[in-house]
Amino acid sequence: MGVQLSVFLENKPGKLEAITKILSQAGINIRGISMASEGEFGVLKVLVNKPGKAHEVLKREHFTVSERNVVVAIVDDRPGALHDLLLTLSSQKINIEDCYGIVLEEGGEAAIVLDIEAYPQAEKVLAQKGTRLLSDGELYSL
Amino acid sequence: MYWEKEVETMDRSALAGLQLGRLNESLTRARGSAFYGKRFAGGASSEGAQPAYAGTPAQPGGYAGTPAKPAGSSIELSGLEELTDLPFTTKDDLRNAFPYGFLTVDLQEVIRLHSSSGTTGNPTVVFHTPRDIDHWGNLIARCMYTTGVRKQDVFQNMMGYGLFTGGLGFHYGAEKLGVMTIPIGPGNSKRQIWFLKHLKATVIHILPSYALRLYSFFEEMQLDPKKDLHLRIAFIGAEPHSEEIRRKIEELYGIKVYNSYGLSEMCGPGVAFECECQVGLHVWEDHFYPEIIDPVSGEVLPEGERGELVLTTLTREAMPLIRYRTRDLTRFLPGECPCGRTHRRIDRITGRSDDMLIINGVNIFPIQIEKTLMAIPEIGRNYLIEINKENFMDRLSVKVEINEEVFHGTLAELEKLQIKAVAALRAELGVTPNVKLVEPSSLPVSEGKVRRVYDYRGGEQGGL
Repeated sequence: MGVQLSVFLENKPGKLEAITKILSQAGINIRGISMASEGEFGVLKVLVNKPGKAHEVLKREHFTVSERNVVVAIVDDRPGALHDLLLTLSSQKINIEDCYGIVLEEGGEAAIVLDIEAYPQAEKVLAQKGTRLLSDGELYSL
Repeated sequence: MYWEKEVETMDRSALAGLQLGRLNESLTRARGSAFYGKRFAGGASSEGAQPAYAGTPAQPGGYAGTPAKPAGSSIELSGLEELTDLPFTTKDDLRNAFPYGFLTVDLQEVIRLHSSSGTTGNPTVVFHTPRDIDHWGNLIARCMYTTGVRKQDVFQNMMGYGLFTGGLGFHYGAEKLGVMTIPIGPGNSKRQIWFLKHLKATVIHILPSYALRLYSFFEEMQLDPKKDLHLRIAFIGAEPHSEEIRRKIEELYGIKVYNSYGLSEMCGPGVAFECECQVGLHVWEDHFYPEIIDPVSGEVLPEGERGELVLTTLTREAMPLIRYRTRDLTRFLPGECPCGRTHRRIDRITGRSDDMLIINGVNIFPIQIEKTLMAIPEIGRNYLIEINKENFMDRLSVKVEINEEVFHGTLAELEKLQIKAVAALRAELGVTPNVKLVEPSSLPVSEGKVRRVYDYRGGEQGGL
C-alpha cells in the first residue's frame, strides 16, 4: 500500500503547470499522474517520491489536497495481464475508484496504480493470487 | 455591569422626555446649517452663521430641560411622534452639500473630519467638535464595558485608522475606558498574530471577513488561537454578516464575538451594540433616535416589522442629522432585554436597501446566500456572487471555496457538493443559481471591506 495525493483543481489554463512548478521547486519527483475532470473542475491524482513533503508544499500554496491510499500492483507487459488483475478484484466484488498504469520498461513490467476504498481486502486477494505489490519504499523510488 | 447605569436603564418615559428635549435642541441647532436652514425656513432662523452651541456643557443632564430655541421657531415638537412630519435626509443630500452644507458651527470649533468611502461623486464628510468626539468615545467605552471589557484588558484594534471611523472610534473609546490599546490597524497578518501572542491581547476589533481570513494564517504558522492566545472577546462590524459567520468566528477562536453597528454619518461605531445576551443590538437612544420605515413608501412601520433604519442625532453638535436614511435593513426586537437595559434593540443588519438584488423579478439579499452557504460544512469560508445577463435572463452565479478539511480527494464528492449547494440555495432564494467550486484563496480577498457582489448587468452596481 502507498499514498498518492489528490488535488482539487479548477479547469483553467495554467493550473496543472502551477502544481508541477511547486513540486519541481521542492525537488519532488513525480512517479505517476492522472486527471479526472467534470468540466469546470477536476481532481488530479499524483504519485510522488515524497508524498508528505508534497502535501505540505501544496497546502502552503493554498491547494486543497487529500491523501488517498493506493495499491500498486506489478503486471507483466503482455496482452491480458491487466485483465487477469482486474478479474481477481471483480470476482471478489472489489470496486475500483480509479486507476492508471505506468509501463516501467518496454517489454518488461507495468505498474498499475489502483485507488480502492477497500484496499486492505484488495491487497489480500491480490497477494493470494501471487500478484507482486509494491511496498512504500519501492513505490516512491519507482 | 453598566458603564452609565442611570442612562442605560432609564425607564422608557424618562428616556422619551430626555429624547424630546434633545431632539428639539438638535432641530434648533440643525437650522444653523445651510442645508437645514433652507429646509426649515419659515420660522425665525435669524441665528444664521453665529450658532452659539459650541460651548454647551457635556453633562448628560444638560439636555433634559427646554432647549434654548429662538423665539418664533416653527419646528418645536411637542411629542416624539411629530418627528415623522419632517422630511428625511439622505446620503445624496450629504453629497450635494459637500463640504460644509451641514456644518452648524464655525470651522474653528471643528477638530476632526471623517469621510465614508464613496466610489461615485463627492465623498460624505462628517465633522466633529471636541464634545462630539467626547460623546463618541464615551459611547464606545459604554459598548466595550457592556460586553465585559475592563481596564486590565489588552485591546488590539485591527480596524483601519484614518478617514474610516472604525479605528479611531474604538481607539478613543478604549482609552476612555482605560484599556491599553494597540493601534495596529488592519493587515500584515503575521505581525497581527505576533502581537496577539506576545502582548497577550484579550480583546480585538476586526472585520468579520478578516477574522476568517486571519485564521488561515494561524493554520499556516501552526498556531491554535484557542491554545496559543489569551483572546476572549472580539467586536465585529462594518460589513453585513450572518449569525453563522459570527458563530464560526467564535468557534474558530474560542471567544465571544459581539456585533457592533454604526455609520460615519452618525459618528461611526457606537450607535448600537450587543450586550452580553448577544440577542440584538441596543441602540443608544440617549444619543440617537431610531425609526424603522418602509424603504419604498417612507412610512414608519409597526413595531417589529423589518425595514430601513432611520436615525436622528440627539447630541451631535457640529453636524446634527434629522431622520437620516441609513439604508440598513433591520427591525426592532420585541420585548425587554434580560440585561436590564431599556434602550431598544435592533436585529442584526440583514442588508442594505440598495443592496437588494432583483434576479428575474425575485428579490434577493446577499446575506441569504451567505447564510445558506455557511450552513454547508463542505463549503469553505469565502464566496463571491456574480450576476450576468444571458439571453435576456438574469443569471446568478455563486463561486464557493471548498473546505479542505472535509475533502477526501474524489471527483464524486465534489459533484455531490455542487448539487447540494444548488439545491440549498434554490430552497432559500427561489432562484436556481449556478454554483462554481473554486480553489481556496482563488477568490479576491482584501484586508479591508470585502466586496462579494459583482453585478455585470449593464454597468456594475451593488458592492457591499
